[in-house]
Amino acid sequence: MSNKIDITLNVNGRPEALQLEPRVTLLDALREQLGLNGTKKGCDQGQCGACTVHIDGERVLACLTLAAQVEGREVTTIEGLSKPGQKAHPVQAAFLEQDAFQCGYCTPGQIMSAVSCIREGHAGSDEEIREYMSGNLCRCGAYPHIVAAVRQAAEAVQ
Amino acid sequence: MRDFTYQRPASLAEARNAAALPGAMLLAGGTTLLDLAKCGVAAPETVIDISHLPGLASIEVGLQGARIGALAKMSAVADNAGIIREFPAVSEALWQSASAQLRNMATIGGNLLQRTRCAYFRDPSGFPACNKRNPGSGCSALGGVTRNHAVLGASPSCIATNPGDLAVALVAFDAQVELGARTVALEDFLLTPGDHPERETDLRPGEIIATVSIPASVAARRSTYLKVRDRQSYEFAAASAAVGIEFEPDGRTIRDLRVALGGVATRPWRARNVEDALKGKVLEPDAVRRASLLAMEGAIAQADNHYKIELAPRVVARALLKTGELA
Amino acid sequence: MSAAEATRRYGDSSDSSSTASGSVIGASVTRFDGSAKIRGAATYALEHRPANVAHAVLVPSTIAAGRVRSIGTAMAEAAPGVLKVLTPDNAPTLKAASDWLGNPPARPDYQPLTAEIAYAGQYIALVIAETFEQATQATHLLDIVYEEADAVSGLRDVAEGGGFLAEPMTREWGDAQAAFASAPVQIEQEYEMPREFQMPIEPNGLIAEWQGDKLTIWEPCQWLDGMARTYSEWFGIPFENVRIISPYIGGGFGSKAFCGPHDAIGAMAAKMLGRPVKLALTRPQIFSSIGGRAATRQTIAIGATKEGKLLSIVHTGASETSINETWVEPLGVVTALMYATPNLSSHQRVVRVNTVMPGAKRAPGENPSAFGIESAIDELAYEIGMDPLEIRLRNYAEEDPHTRKPWSTRQLREAFAAGAEAFGWSRRKPEPRSMRDGHHLIGWGVAAGTYPVRRAAGEARVRLLADGTVEVSSSTIDMGQGAYTVIAQTAAEVFGLPLDKVAVKLGDSSLPRAGVTGGSRMAGVMTSAVHKTAVALREQLVELALTHPASPFRALQANTLTVADGRISSPLADGAVISIGSFLAAIGKTEIDATRDTFAEIGIDPKDSYKNYTTIAMAPPPTAGDFSLHSWCAHFIEVRVDEDFGTVRVSRAVSAFDSGRLYNPRLAASQIKGGIIMGIGQALLEEGLVDGRHARLMNANLADYLIPTNADIPDIEVISVGIPDPHASALGGKGVGELGIVGVAPAIANAVFHATGKRIRDLPITLDKLI
Repeated sequence: MSNKIDITLNVNGRPEALQLEPRVTLLDALREQLGLNGTKKGCDQGQCGACTVHIDGERVLACLTLAAQVEGREVTTIEGLSKPGQKAHPVQAAFLEQDAFQCGYCTPGQIMSAVSCIREGHAGSDEEIREYMSGNLCRCGAYPHIVAAVRQAAEAVQ
Repeated sequence: MRDFTYQRPASLAEARNAAALPGAMLLAGGTTLLDLAKCGVAAPETVIDISHLPGLASIEVGLQGARIGALAKMSAVADNAGIIREFPAVSEALWQSASAQLRNMATIGGNLLQRTRCAYFRDPSGFPACNKRNPGSGCSALGGVTRNHAVLGASPSCIATNPGDLAVALVAFDAQVELGARTVALEDFLLTPGDHPERETDLRPGEIIATVSIPASVAARRSTYLKVRDRQSYEFAAASAAVGIEFEPDGRTIRDLRVALGGVATRPWRARNVEDALKGKVLEPDAVRRASLLAMEGAIAQADNHYKIELAPRVVARALLKTGELA
Repeated sequence: MSAAEATRRYGDSSDSSSTASGSVIGASVTRFDGSAKIRGAATYALEHRPANVAHAVLVPSTIAAGRVRSIGTAMAEAAPGVLKVLTPDNAPTLKAASDWLGNPPARPDYQPLTAEIAYAGQYIALVIAETFEQATQATHLLDIVYEEADAVSGLRDVAEGGGFLAEPMTREWGDAQAAFASAPVQIEQEYEMPREFQMPIEPNGLIAEWQGDKLTIWEPCQWLDGMARTYSEWFGIPFENVRIISPYIGGGFGSKAFCGPHDAIGAMAAKMLGRPVKLALTRPQIFSSIGGRAATRQTIAIGATKEGKLLSIVHTGASETSINETWVEPLGVVTALMYATPNLSSHQRVVRVNTVMPGAKRAPGENPSAFGIESAIDELAYEIGMDPLEIRLRNYAEEDPHTRKPWSTRQLREAFAAGAEAFGWSRRKPEPRSMRDGHHLIGWGVAAGTYPVRRAAGEARVRLLADGTVEVSSSTIDMGQGAYTVIAQTAAEVFGLPLDKVAVKLGDSSLPRAGVTGGSRMAGVMTSAVHKTAVALREQLVELALTHPASPFRALQANTLTVADGRISSPLADGAVISIGSFLAAIGKTEIDATRDTFAEIGIDPKDSYKNYTTIAMAPPPTAGDFSLHSWCAHFIEVRVDEDFGTVRVSRAVSAFDSGRLYNPRLAASQIKGGIIMGIGQALLEEGLVDGRHARLMNANLADYLIPTNADIPDIEVISVGIPDPHASALGGKGVGELGIVGVAPAIANAVFHATGKRIRDLPITLDKLI
């Protein structure tokens, strides 16, 4: 009856063999099948940024990506940014220091996006950071602190 | 999402064959297809994933102009140094579209095929009547909430706005799409609804956009894309304008002019009447403001979108004056 | 602003301990739950995965009025993986639950799935399948036949004076009509706000699992005990049989405080299937089935002297509610509180329309009320040619104008002064359209805000463990406001321990009880409860140290001992010093613990414990007792309006606020800023667009219902001017969470008027209104 396919995803440096329907999104595969809940489902229609992950080092939305589509590519989630027990990534540390979140639900997506924002060279000014972080909605309203955190992390990285 | 089978063709030719079969839809960036599949608007039986096809993501900018592979990502084109230098309006249109994440996913070819944001179109269970989805069923938007609907190029069958930014800049600078066997001007490729809103493009079965080319021009080099919206970012345009100017050697008289509008029409809207009115004239504010009003010739407002008729000429005028360094 | 600057700037509102480093109350420590959240390791309720969980997807009605004639389920039931399809035809009837005030239900039964439709988005079916994808697909296979009836789409469909009078909202003193009629200066205007939505980024939903007649619910939830009571009443099981688990909440803003139909349907499905069921609402479903802020309309008439002294306020308002249930968005609460006026009349009507019952969105009542009065007072200022700040000071209320009780604390004058100073208000040119920068018209606006202090009793358990650590537990929750942090700080202070020696367990209804996290009450309630409990446990520790046969202190014959830095010591300099952990080991205990509540402190009879935690009926009003208790703020906003396009951007915001003592100034500042940002969205972007023909919301998603993005928000400066308020809470704090949003929208509208000379009285202020 069901039309499952076998795929192997490379997530956070580990191969993960999965059997799933082609229509399963990367977001649902990460959360429901791999138990990687750090990538959040906020809108499931590409409008909030909570599901931001890296594919081959670039930030994308996992809710509008099929799991099957990324076979053969490198997927990095918030869990892969720094391993448990290890030192936090400079962007993670900056988010904590600047109080750049409240409820924390958009935070993994914000952090993944911020890592890319800096890597892309789009953290050159507060105005640029604001624009290039606008794909990540934060309803608690941590935006000014997110800008401060990205600025701090960008300076730390350089 | 309906269940579907998933295929990864190894070549463009293979992809064309697969795409010609009934129920097949191409997946490139996925930002339109998966969105619409979740809305229930798209229900592919087979998804042909062309995102892994090699050699279709190049960006070449030379003396003749730019050639952009259809699978080039919006972000890559926006940040390309040659594009920024030769076609600033194209880069500006791109980075003001969607979000950084979506621009890392969406391809140039897919962007040109994006569907309208009409809320009635996007809600098949709530509004079965939609001539785009179901030809002849009627238009639910007429008489509804029409704040973002088109004032230009609409018909009694459809008032849905083309939401694109990139396409507006490309239409201004005479871009062409290469479809394999034939090449078509983008302006002709994207259709107004007329009596057949279900036909949005001149894409024929089995055709795939392979390349987008933009001829080099002095006007493109001196161009800008101005996008106006209530939210500062991550919103579709209330009105936008792509403009480019070539001056005579005196630096004041307009030799060549390009004007296209977004957010107000059923397709990217080239405003040749504005161009013609200003060619040969000196760029100065009053003349620009007067000529910009021509962009709204033939505009028809719905209940909630009259503001676009006021707004769009002002966006055109500001864009022209800004490009001419008078604003 | 750096964290260090923030500490300096906000620390001054607290007592002296705020400037000390370390973990004490009043210190700006980083978020206690932050390490988990930055690593994606904080597990939210819907991320729990019980074995054998089935996935459910709801089907909303596409009509707003009428009935479902039939739902054909054969195709859906035959679809791969589908386990069950629930419709009005086969869904069982539950018992009706009492409301959040504890009022018993009007009817004995409750059918969460019915064929009678009162709003678009009302649920009419549920599909349960092995996977989320299968359930979603099968919802499209239902054959639904409707009979559509005419719907009332909103307030504008109903003539002025329609609906019914909400009697408890009436405020009257003096003779407002006569005083207005004879006033030398009169203004009268109407103010409107659209339907708005809370839209936390985490969706609503639940995982329900039954074991016999015991129900466990994993759900993002602002009120575990209140919602557990609802579940228990629906299913006719003892309250103790319901356990709700909600360790972190991804934002609430009022949208996760009450059970909705989806909760009843999800728990019902799990019971029928005998399997755990996960049911998460889609984003469009959140828009159409979780009540947001009601659309409102107010008329305000102000009579004043030519010198700007208020003589009368006549206020009438109307708010929408649903066809079957009543929600009142109290529109006169700030109108009757903010300014000294000898005459006032305020009445409110409530109008039934075909919508889901509206609900609580950040500062329900105060927020729209402030938009009305703070716009109107600004209009008066321009009418008589007075500075908008001056007119507010001229009519400053030295006491509560309604009850005539003194304020407990009201640092609003200080807020105006501090805000004006930081903003540079004195440099403002008074005339509209007098400040510009290129194409941008610049406008400066001011408005005040307020929110009442809501008191309630809470309960906490504190354990002192042999390893020298402390564990605090309570069923209160953290949705970003900082519960984990301020509770940890409170316990750490009492025992003189660093924060890493404190563990906090929240968000489980099996823990000691707490009321709703809403109405900006959590921090005041829970720091009081935790402080009391921790002090009691410290006393127990000292008592043991003085009296236990194995205690090294027993021989001292001392009256008391010092507990600090995680150690017990004799007050005598040469006495013994021993760590708490070593002491417990010495007396052969693995732990000692205490549980206390704060009933006595707020005058509730402990026999009303259940009612206290599961309803809001026991909460004393802010004017109970000898004082009137409120938080206050003053917002100063700069806007830049493009004169050609009508686009408005907030370019500067300075807000000074009086929330009493701050338990953690850094977190309080974040919350105030969050409120201001939500207020910017309300003022400029947020509006539920309803198709009047079908009473259907047309922008039920986050691309079309616009909330602010990062690019919409400038740097925001917030200044605390509060002083400890001993009447508000044991530790001196007032409310924070809702205060920040109150007054933002009028400050922006006032700034837009200053910039453009156009007074926009219906929100949001979109470009089409200014072009």
